[in-house]
Amino acid sequence: MSTARAIRAAGPARRVPPPNGLPRLIPPDAPLPLADHIARYGPVPLRATDLITEVERAGLTGRGGASFPAGRKMRTVAEAGRRSGPLRGLGGTVVVANGAESEPASGKDRLLLARAPHLVLDGIALAAEAVGATRGYLSLDERQDELALQLAAAIDERERAGQNRVPVQILGVPARYVASQETAVISQLNGGAAKPTFVPPRPFEKGAHGRPTLVQNVETLAHVALIARFGAGWFRDLGPAPDPAGPPGPGTGPAAGSALITVSGAVNRPGVYEIALGMPVGELVRWAGGPSERPQAFLAGGYFGGWLPYDQALGVAVSDPALRAVGAALGSGVLVLLPESACGLAETAWIAGFLATQGAGQCGPCVNGLPALASMLEQLAFGRPDREALGWAQRLVTLVARRGACHLPDGTAAFVASALDTFADEIRRHAAAGPCSRVRRRPVLPAPGYAWGQRR
Amino acid sequence: MCVELLPELITADPWGYPIIAPGPVPGHLLPLARRAVAACPTLALLLNQDK
Amino acid sequence: MSGFATTLLASPAAAGRVAPGAIVITSTTPLWYLTRATGLVALVLLTLNMACGLLTSVRYQRPAWPRFVTIGLHRNVALLALAFTGLHIVTTLADSFVPIHVQDVFIPFISAYRPLWLGLGAIAFDLMLALAVTSLLRTRMSYWSWRLVHWGAYLCWPVAVLHGLGTGTDTSVRWVLGLTVACVALVAALTGWRLAYGWPSHAAARLAGALALVLALIAGSAWLTAGPLRPGWALRAGTPSHLVSGSSKSGGTR
Repeated sequence: MSTARAIRAAGPARRVPPPNGLPRLIPPDAPLPLADHIARYGPVPLRATDLITEVERAGLTGRGGASFPAGRKMRTVAEAGRRSGPLRGLGGTVVVANGAESEPASGKDRLLLARAPHLVLDGIALAAEAVGATRGYLSLDERQDELALQLAAAIDERERAGQNRVPVQILGVPARYVASQETAVISQLNGGAAKPTFVPPRPFEKGAHGRPTLVQNVETLAHVALIARFGAGWFRDLGPAPDPAGPPGPGTGPAAGSALITVSGAVNRPGVYEIALGMPVGELVRWAGGPSERPQAFLAGGYFGGWLPYDQALGVAVSDPALRAVGAALGSGVLVLLPESACGLAETAWIAGFLATQGAGQCGPCVNGLPALASMLEQLAFGRPDREALGWAQRLVTLVARRGACHLPDGTAAFVASALDTFADEIRRHAAAGPCSRVRRRPVLPAPGYAWGQRR
Repeated sequence: MCVELLPELITADPWGYPIIAPGPVPGHLLPLARRAVAACPTLALLLNQDK
Repeated sequence: MSGFATTLLASPAAAGRVAPGAIVITSTTPLWYLTRATGLVALVLLTLNMACGLLTSVRYQRPAWPRFVTIGLHRNVALLALAFTGLHIVTTLADSFVPIHVQDVFIPFISAYRPLWLGLGAIAFDLMLALAVTSLLRTRMSYWSWRLVHWGAYLCWPVAVLHGLGTGTDTSVRWVLGLTVACVALVAALTGWRLAYGWPSHAAARLAGALALVLALIAGSAWLTAGPLRPGWALRAGTPSHLVSGSSKSGGTR
């Protein structure tokens, strides 16, 4: 049975100066070997603070896509763990660091794990102590052999240096879009398929091995590792100051801390950027070298996010509340710039077709509805759409939403709905004159393993 | 089949799957809802009680 | 109390050798008639039950016949079939003429009377109990556990039919045989529909099922003509010899 251990302090305790400004997670000289990591940040500060309260005060939200408050999640799991006390089953709770990153347009988790593994592993140790965990898992795309080896070596090194609170096991997750969803990872841990589950109980009550389980994105845990050392105030000292005047409306609530954003598409310097949440989209695009050709629209939030016309998006803050207010989302921090040389309708049809192949095959509305929706969109993009086709697409969007065990149909529906809105002019042009010449170019959005028209 | 048993709250999508009207089940429909849940051949329906 | 219709022969029966025209001595008490009657009714009800179940699986539906009617009938007919099977069992036990005891009802192949064919009845009954209990507890168990047990229906029904043909003393009576054949025809036809419904998904399983169905029908007919419909079946089936008579006149059937 796995048990929690004490952490060995490496050297005398001392106050370590907090990182100033950005970047915080991935310093320029990353990756740091363990000794340097401890020298720069200090050893894992267990029992130094009431971590959960500190994370709550920091306002840290999950960086895996849902932006759920991390502190609240940790508190719920800790309480569930206490409730199912020592008499009701052995084994404490479980921490899962989710680095599977199945969003094709996102690369931040892979980068973080390659460049700052010890921050993530610190985060696992700290979270484990806070929620009373006795074992930990790190989920990874199963194709990432090299990264898995590096991480295993890092874990072993920490084991020898006494920096692991709980044993951490690496879990290879299949490369399917829904496989990195919280309940899918847990289902896989319990020996089942890597597919989302529907029936209660939820992971925080009964997850891996029947224990209350905390599933957090690896970036979230890396932030936890810094908050534990430098405090909630330091964490928040990057985002815009909260508006003291009125009540926070949608998009005006204070966004907290920094986040990793993967910028791709028609920009000059695509890559992963660490920004202060709340920075305007336009500024981030400037950081990424500006558009490489005439820009058309943004896809914000990945394939469960939404489309935004270029000009309207420039002033929007990069934060979940602000993006949701304009019909998109932050998601797992994905921003793709679509150039004018691409057809938004074709790109949407391309990704809708991809998502239709990514279902778990468990729920009728998704199994039937998503391929039908993809076909309708292909008709809109490549055919001469009539009013019926558009009406069907809109009806299918409402038919699939919130009728599956996971959020695949909902996310797809939101994505398509925002496309029908943002590219309404494009649809009118196609209806009048048939498909534009831009539908034939190679798609900008990545869809690994998918071919046009594929349905399973 | 639940569509047959509880048409007040359940309609069918183009493929025969149930679309459930949002909101709580009204009191007078509760016994019928229980019957619909028990009758589902694949046990796909769930009756949730929130406090 | 019993009223024997006829008397035993002397030595040949006692020595175990029986003349070709040997017949079974049957009691003429009400219990014996009840056993045979309730057995037949149970068979018919079980057949109708299978029919309801098969119609459910092919999602049979008409404007005037919603699916919940099929399901409702399925439950009610199942309970009726169980009730009549219960009566059939109770009357058999109560009739002290044949040596059948309580344990023979549940444990197959240990009875003194036609052990193989009675044992099939025990198997069918055990399966019926399993089907009934799991279905009553359906909402409290995992769907796949319930489904797995429910497939036992495809075993239960043919076993019950074989039991009836093998144990029953009325097998060669024309209307009884006709009724049994009609039941088999109905279930076979509906099973064929079930196998075809949803083609071509799970094609291999469907073809295997169809093959099994055809083989079962052929084997069943062959066995029927070579077995129960030939004279002397009673003894070959395992009726205790003291119950078999060589006299040609008795109150029973051949």
